[in-house]
Amino acid sequence: MKNKTMKKVAAFSMSTVLMAATLAGCGQAAAPSGDAGTTTGSDTTAQTSDAGSETVASGDIVDMTFFAGMPGTEINSGNNEIQDMIAEKTGVRLKETWLTGQTVAEAIGSIIASGTYPDLIDGGDGCADLYNEGVLVPWDEYLESGKYPNLTNYYTPAEWDQFRQDDGHIYWCNVFQNTKGAPTGTAHNDEAFWIQARVLEWDNYPEIKTLDQYFDLLERYAAANPKTQDANGNEMDIIPYTCLCDDWRYFCIENAPQFLDGYPNDGSVIVDFDGKDPTIVDYNTTPTAKRYFAKLNEEYKKGIVDKDFGTQKYDDYIQKLSNGNVLGMCDQYWDFQQINDALLTAGLDVQGCNYVPLGLTIDPGMENRWHTYGDTLNTASGIAVTTSCADPDLAFSFLDKMLDQDIMNLRFWGVEGEDYLVDENGLFYRTPEIRAKVADPKYKADHMCMYSYLPQYGGTSDDGINANLPEEQPSEFYDKLAEPLKKCFDAYGAKNYPDLIGSVVEDVNATHPWFPMWSYSNNLDTSTPGGVAWTKMGECKHEWLPKLVMASDFESEWNNYMAAYEGCNPQDFLSQMQEELDRRVAANAGN
Amino acid sequence: MSKTVATKKKTVITRKELAKQKVLIAWSAVFVIYGFIFCYLPLAGWLMAFENYKNKTGLFHSQWVGLEKFKFLFSDATFIKVIRNTFCMGTLNLVFTTLTAIVFAILLNEFRLLRAKKVVQTISYLPHFLSWIIVTGILNDALSSTGIINELLQKFGLVKDTVPFFSIPALFWPIVTFAHVWKETGWNAIIYLSAITSIDPCLYEAASIDGAGRWGKIKNVTLPGIKPTIIILLIMNMGNLLNAGFEVQYLLGNGLVKSVSDTIDIYVLTWGISQNDYSLGTAAGIFKSVVSIAIIVIANSIAKRTGEERLF
Repeated sequence: MKNKTMKKVAAFSMSTVLMAATLAGCGQAAAPSGDAGTTTGSDTTAQTSDAGSETVASGDIVDMTFFAGMPGTEINSGNNEIQDMIAEKTGVRLKETWLTGQTVAEAIGSIIASGTYPDLIDGGDGCADLYNEGVLVPWDEYLESGKYPNLTNYYTPAEWDQFRQDDGHIYWCNVFQNTKGAPTGTAHNDEAFWIQARVLEWDNYPEIKTLDQYFDLLERYAAANPKTQDANGNEMDIIPYTCLCDDWRYFCIENAPQFLDGYPNDGSVIVDFDGKDPTIVDYNTTPTAKRYFAKLNEEYKKGIVDKDFGTQKYDDYIQKLSNGNVLGMCDQYWDFQQINDALLTAGLDVQGCNYVPLGLTIDPGMENRWHTYGDTLNTASGIAVTTSCADPDLAFSFLDKMLDQDIMNLRFWGVEGEDYLVDENGLFYRTPEIRAKVADPKYKADHMCMYSYLPQYGGTSDDGINANLPEEQPSEFYDKLAEPLKKCFDAYGAKNYPDLIGSVVEDVNATHPWFPMWSYSNNLDTSTPGGVAWTKMGECKHEWLPKLVMASDFESEWNNYMAAYEGCNPQDFLSQMQEELDRRVAANAGN
Repeated sequence: MSKTVATKKKTVITRKELAKQKVLIAWSAVFVIYGFIFCYLPLAGWLMAFENYKNKTGLFHSQWVGLEKFKFLFSDATFIKVIRNTFCMGTLNLVFTTLTAIVFAILLNEFRLLRAKKVVQTISYLPHFLSWIIVTGILNDALSSTGIINELLQKFGLVKDTVPFFSIPALFWPIVTFAHVWKETGWNAIIYLSAITSIDPCLYEAASIDGAGRWGKIKNVTLPGIKPTIIILLIMNMGNLLNAGFEVQYLLGNGLVKSVSDTIDIYVLTWGISQNDYSLGTAAGIFKSVVSIAIIVIANSIAKRTGEERLF
């Protein structure tokens, strides 16, 4: 039996040894391909520019692989119509694999340990680990070569500089929050306290501005309507409020205090700059944080908060929201947006089960910054090309072409005449039948190919008329709204989601030049004291925050929590964040 | 020639003797090589625990830090908790799965209807073939606030409000132990059953003649008969004490019960793989191996001293 234990350790060390060997191999393999980019650059330019105008014969299509450090829905790769169309235009068919059942860190850790990398990768929070392994191809030569103008112009030189790692090279680029043309700004792709439209309708669209008003409404609605029906007419108990605490998604319970105090989403800290030098403030220990958790605790005792909130996994959570019996929760829009298709398919959208965001604050009359106006440049993660990719030139050309307008349209709108129609003014639109069709999971798998983690633009298309993304097309946006949502928008005089939230309208990059601080903290690792503290604080909060909410005696539990929290040395983390903040402020002053 | 005759009993290794045994040697060489490659060679990886290992620099060029990783490990309150959890869950599992398996094997043995016995036995070891992901799924469903257990408890008026089983740290170890018992009792009972069948029937006859009833036969014949098996299995399983599990705790655990649910294996995963600190992961692994070996040796020598069966 001892052999067995030994073997486990042995296998662990063995795999790392093997991997070290493989990595050494990768490193060598990388060098020649990098050279190829510079020495034979002119030849490849000729080839790629030729290929740009024509379609690629199916025999010449190269299959590449991609891993996203995010959960997603796999399409029928190899049997997907739009994927094939894109492959004909670019010469590359990309097989996407998504994160399943693991955390990003675990997934990236296992990929590193195995030593087999996909051609393209979005490592999420693990990007820095991949960089440290030296398995990413530097972008600089490719960007400077002029062969990939779309990519080169994707960011300004100053913005590209922000992606540089400590060795001075660029290894990845973030593909989100990059607006071309005028922003259409219909979506609230940020965090909020969400509430079902029918709850607001039931109370004649009241003004809900504070946490107390929000829970008061949930309580009253739940008392009056304890039961609801699912899509099949089965009776279900209402869950007035649920709260996700699963793995990294515990931000749903964790970071509301920063917003309730009126600060934007710096993610891990508050930056206070009211009439003084920007200073890091820990939002975990503010009076607002205590009031927020006390409120959740009070509501939990009243039975308003979901009993299973502390133990539910992400899948359970999405299932609950799709059932339509959860009245409200605090979450990022992108974290649950897939339920909209489920609600549509189940016919629950017309019953008012869609969620609308509320811009709550802890006290009445405060400003809120739940909605971020302006693009957030997240330099911490993005799409990268690995040294396992046999033909980096082709990979970069593929990424480059992703930004071509016709490919952008194919990815997000689909095929003209099938997935969208064009009116006499050139405006793209969808009929209700098309909308139902493109929401169908099977159709999406066989036909649509968004390549959603590859470079893309928000905002307006080159034609100056249409939005790049259908959900941002103002006309499409409003037409697509289910009746209860339309009524809700009309009642509040809102044209889009940001209007509903009522956040301070300001370009966050101008007013908060260090924004967002989470792009630094997300990449902390345990090699620094601040990183160790950050990891431990995370573990501590994971355990204690749900405990606080479920505590029978909140006051004493809060004191226990604070004692445990202090034990993680949060000061190490905060001072490291302050250093980074000072660096960013100074860098900005230098520009 | 006379020499070989004289020392025939000892078999001197000569070329001829080697040639004669070449098939045997070839076969054992396979296992020696296998053992060397898969059990001993990887031990070189233990070096990682003493350096600040980075993949980039490899085993031979990483910075040497001596015992620093071990110092961090033992000053980390989480690691101490993790050892406690692993040890306690391991012990609970060992005690309860062994006890239930023995009791179950004896009960099965007392079954009179052979067919019924077969059916019961087959059903009882089926859960062994389910993977943990399925078992934890069943547990999750059964113990959730809308699950069958809570429903029953409420129907019978035993509780007013649903019990959040997975949010109560005190219940986590019992749930894990129960899951192990449910999954493994039938399977573990097989080996005891076969030990029971190998007991000489004459002993039972003799016991009957001496007036022993069923209970008396179990106490005086069956149990002593399977005692060597029990002890050998116990010693062997002691080595597994720290392998209290990974999947169960990983799949059933959540933030609320983290302090009682994390095991050494999960700790190795979070630090070794997720945080990319292979050195710390290896250090934790070494600790686990060393303790496991120590436990086996101690258990074995206790068995030796009390004159019982032993491994070595």
